[in-house]
Parts: sequence; structure tokens; C-alpha cells
Amino acid sequence: MATDVMIQANGLTKRFGVVRALDKVNFEVKRGEVVGFLGPNGAGKSTTMRILTCFISPSTGSAKVNGSDVFDNPLEVRRSIGYLPQRAPLYTDMTVWEYLKFAAEIRGLDESTFKKRLKKVVEVCGLAQSLGKNISTLSHGYRQRVGLGQALIHDPPILILDEPTSDLDPNEKAEVLRYIKEIGKDRTILLSTHNLAEVEEACARAIIVSKGRVVADGPLDQIRGTTGRVRYVVAIDEQRAEAGNQAPAAAQAQEALERLSGVRSVRELPTDESAHKFELSGAQDSDIRAEIFRLMVAKGWTLLELRRDAQSLDAVFRDLTRGDEKLDRGAGWAAANDDDEDDDDDDEELDAKVSTGTEPDDEDEDEDDEDDEDDVKSKGKN
Amino acid sequence: MSPMLIIAKREFRSYFDSPIAYIVICLSFFALGLMFFFLNGGFWQLDRASVARLFESAPMGLSFLVVPVVTMRLLAEERRSGTLEMLITLPVKDSDVVLGKYLGALGLVLILVVSTLAYPIIMFKWPWNLGPLDAGPVASGYLGMILFSAAAVAVGLLISALTESQAVAFFITFFVLGALWLFGDLASKAGGTLAIFLNYVSFQSRLNNFWRGLVDSRDVVFFLSVTALSLMVAFRALERRKWA
Repeated sequence: MATDVMIQANGLTKRFGVVRALDKVNFEVKRGEVVGFLGPNGAGKSTTMRILTCFISPSTGSAKVNGSDVFDNPLEVRRSIGYLPQRAPLYTDMTVWEYLKFAAEIRGLDESTFKKRLKKVVEVCGLAQSLGKNISTLSHGYRQRVGLGQALIHDPPILILDEPTSDLDPNEKAEVLRYIKEIGKDRTILLSTHNLAEVEEACARAIIVSKGRVVADGPLDQIRGTTGRVRYVVAIDEQRAEAGNQAPAAAQAQEALERLSGVRSVRELPTDESAHKFELSGAQDSDIRAEIFRLMVAKGWTLLELRRDAQSLDAVFRDLTRGDEKLDRGAGWAAANDDDEDDDDDDEELDAKVSTGTEPDDEDEDEDDEDDEDDVKSKGKN
Repeated sequence: MSPMLIIAKREFRSYFDSPIAYIVICLSFFALGLMFFFLNGGFWQLDRASVARLFESAPMGLSFLVVPVVTMRLLAEERRSGTLEMLITLPVKDSDVVLGKYLGALGLVLILVVSTLAYPIIMFKWPWNLGPLDAGPVASGYLGMILFSAAAVAVGLLISALTESQAVAFFITFFVLGALWLFGDLASKAGGTLAIFLNYVSFQSRLNNFWRGLVDSRDVVFFLSVTALSLMVAFRALERRKWA
């Protein structure tokens, strides 16, 4: 049903000089969906939103919002959208009421509709106390609320919110998310952020962009499974063993762990203790802790630590978007990933595979580059 | 109300919400008073029932101060603070934004221009009557001043559309309008083709005819053309954001 697709982006590409801010971005948002639009800073989130609101035009590609093309019918597109730009830029010389009135007038709301909508917006956004205040005197959180209010004043079917929670304190954040969830019941909302907890709170679906490309798109659970795998950390005492057995050498232990079924790679971790510490990676849907325990018992080795980390959305996000910062800024994001021996080619390979929507089985194979590297390393050692 | 008029209204009001309108109006009248009564011997020395001095000095003040101050923030400030994005993503056309801002700023300048009617009225009608004032040159003088304001504000808007900095917009507008004014003085010193060219583009030379009570269609068309051209380029400059 074509009418159910509220936002449709077809091969959006945007170049700023030589910089390619967006590279063939495709996605659809259906009626009633609340979609989180994720990505590191500079990944192209705002650019995409500006194209969808007809503030800028794509270099190539097209987009339709509520059935209207952004090239052919920008006014129609803007009428059906409520848009909150990043950092909610407002006219600071106006009062909140004046600002909302201004937005309503431009949108052609008559006096009685405005009054009705104002009441609702004030209630939803919690603006009752500040209607008469000058916007210049408001805190950032309140400005964000006014921005949200102006986006809602005409009761639009589609809301595009660019980082609606940035610069808010935790209370305000929680409140804005609550509003979004509340108003998202009967609207289509595209919400950009780089805060993953917010997406998990407010959205059922996420689109992850990195370096101007969509690297993942789907329900949150599916995205978690995109690079899906589980890490295990195993530490074995390197000096003592149980019941007269010999403590293993590192290579010996590694080999034994690699032979376990369900283990895809083993990597030795540095440690201060007198122990061999390994990081194992296994498939998302299996649990090999029992196997590891049995192996230890059989060999008589002393197990000092055994831990299983489910991959969080956070880690998926980092996996999918790594390299962005190093590429664009040379610092920052990548510094958080110390073990990230950033290699853009690997990354692109991953992107391509994920975004072309290969079968889940195949995707299991495309663990992130780190594992591939590990595979190579461990084979080399043997 | 059309989006263009709503934007114009907001723009116009915002001058009065900030001190800028009051400062501009007060200082302009103070400066105009000085120039009218004291500059080059002043009004009394002339000993004639004429407000030509008003028309000579007011556009100068407009060029060098009022218009640059009034227009500098129009688009530059919106761009810098990001409110432009908020404004343009409302269902408005780019032309609504340009014309709305233009009309808002022109409104303030015209208020100033119209207020100067106080001079001829107070001196030659009521409460004083200093002599028989020829209404013709006064009418044509005001027509010229209005046309000049329209062109100057359009130039200021254009320059404001090209930069994100109010200060840069102010200085460039000041310089451009100042030059277009002073070309008239330069023309009398230069000779030949240069003088013809300078006279052709100078706002001052163009206004000269209006002061003498002469409404030449060439001058009218000149000011209207400058206005239209500047607005069109400003429109293009605003549109450029889409592709840059």
C-alpha cells in the first residue's frame, strides 16, 4: 500500500564540494512508526533530515514525504511535516506564545484552531508556565520544548526531530522522550540521535547511518543481531592446576578452546594476573559456557574467570559506525575503541553486506573485522 | 494573511522588540536636525522657503548608517543562529522569505522617511509658517527618497544574504551604499566617460533631479531596477543553500 509509506528516500546522495555527506541513502518509514535515526556526528543524519524538509536539495536521488516529492512540491511536503532542527533555533526576541502564534499563522491555522491546538501543545510539551516568557530567557531544555511545540502546532502526520534531546539534562531528556512516545502513538516520527538508550526507549525500529550510508535498518532486535555474536572472557591459571595436572601453556589452552564447537575465534588478552586470559566469540543464539567448564574439568585446569557479554546495541552501533571519526576528524570516536585497529576497507565490506540485506546466516559470517583479523592471527599462530 | 506578510510583520515588530528601532530613529533625527540646521551654514543662511536641504542630507544618513544597521541582520543573523532553517522549513517559499524580510526592513526605513514630513509641516504649515513652500519639489523629493530607500534596503538585504556575519554585512553595505552616494561627488571632479558612468550609477546624482522637482522616468526606472535586481540576487543567494 503506497499510501502507508509516509517517508521514502530513494538513493539520496549529497555532496558538499568534494565531501560526500550522503551516499545513496534508501529507506522507508511507514505510517505510525517511530524510527530512530542513528549515527555518529557527521554521519549525515541532519543532512538527510534537511533534504526531507526541503531545506536543501539532494545532489542526486529523490525523496517523497506523504506522497509529495521534495523537488516538485516542497510546500506540500513542509505542510505535512513538523520539524525540529538541531538545537531548536528560535527567534529569541519573541515570547513563547508569539512564536507559536507565528508558526501557526504561517501554517494558515485560524484563530479557533490555534487556540485548540495551543491548549494541547502546551499540555503535551509542558509550556504552561512559560507561554508569556521571552524565549531568550528560557533554558535550553525549555527552548527544545518550544521547538517541539512549534513542530506540533498544526497536528502534522509526520514529525522529523533532529536530536530533540541533545543538551538536555537527564530529567528533561526523560520528559521529552515521554512526549515523543506519547505523541508517537498516532504519528510517523523520524527521530535522530546518537544516544542509543533513547532509541531503545522510544523507538521500535532504527536506521543506522555511517559515513553517509545506511549500514543497518530494521527492528532493534534484528539490528542487535546484525553483527550478532557473543563474547566470552575466559581466564585460566598459568601456574597451578587441579589434582596433579599441568598448568597449560598459552598456545595449548588457546588450541583447546578453539576446538570447542560454537567458538568462532579466540584471542589472547593482556592481563596483569598470572593467568592466560582469552576472549572468545560465539554465535548469538548459543551458550558455550557449559562446554568451557567441562573442558576445564577434563583437563584439570584452574578456571579463574568465565564471563559472557551479550552484544549491546551500543556495541553494534560502534561496530557499524567505526572509522567514521578517524576518517573525518582524525580523533575522538576512534579513541574510545582502543582495540579498534581501524581499517576502512573491512568496514565498507561489512556495510555493503549488511545494507544489501543478506540472509541472517550469512550475516553471522560477517562478524566485524576484528574477528576476521583474529581468525587470521589465530590461524597464523597454529 | 499570506506568509510573506506574516514574515514582514514579524520582522518589523522585532525591530521594536529590540532597542534597534528606537536607537536608529532617535539618532537619525538628532543627526538630521544637526545637518539640516547647522551643516554648511544651515537652513537659515539659505533664507529660502525650501526643504531641499532635508532631501540632500537625509539619504546620506540613510546610506551611511540607517540602512546598513537595519538590513545587516536580516538574513545574516538568521543564517548564523540557524533560525533560517526553522523559518524555511515552515510552508513558505524562498521568495516569501526574501520579500517578507525586505518589506519588514523597508517598513522601518519608510517610517523614518515619512516622519521627516514633520520638517515641512511644522515649519511651513503649522504651528509656524516661514514662507510659501512650493509643494511640487517636496512631493517629488519624497518620491525620490522613497524610491531611494527601496533600492538601498534591497542592496542591504542582498549583502546580508551573502554572509553569516552581521558586522561584515554592515561594513559592506556601508561601503557599497556610501560609494554609490559619493560617486555623485566624484563625478563632478572626474571628466569624460568616467563622469558619465559615475553619474549614471550614483544614487546622489539620480536623486538630484527629484530635489529640483523633476521626476524623470529614467531615474524612477533606475531605482526600481536596482531594487528588483538586488532582490532577485538575494533570492538566488538564499536558494544557493540548497546546492552548496
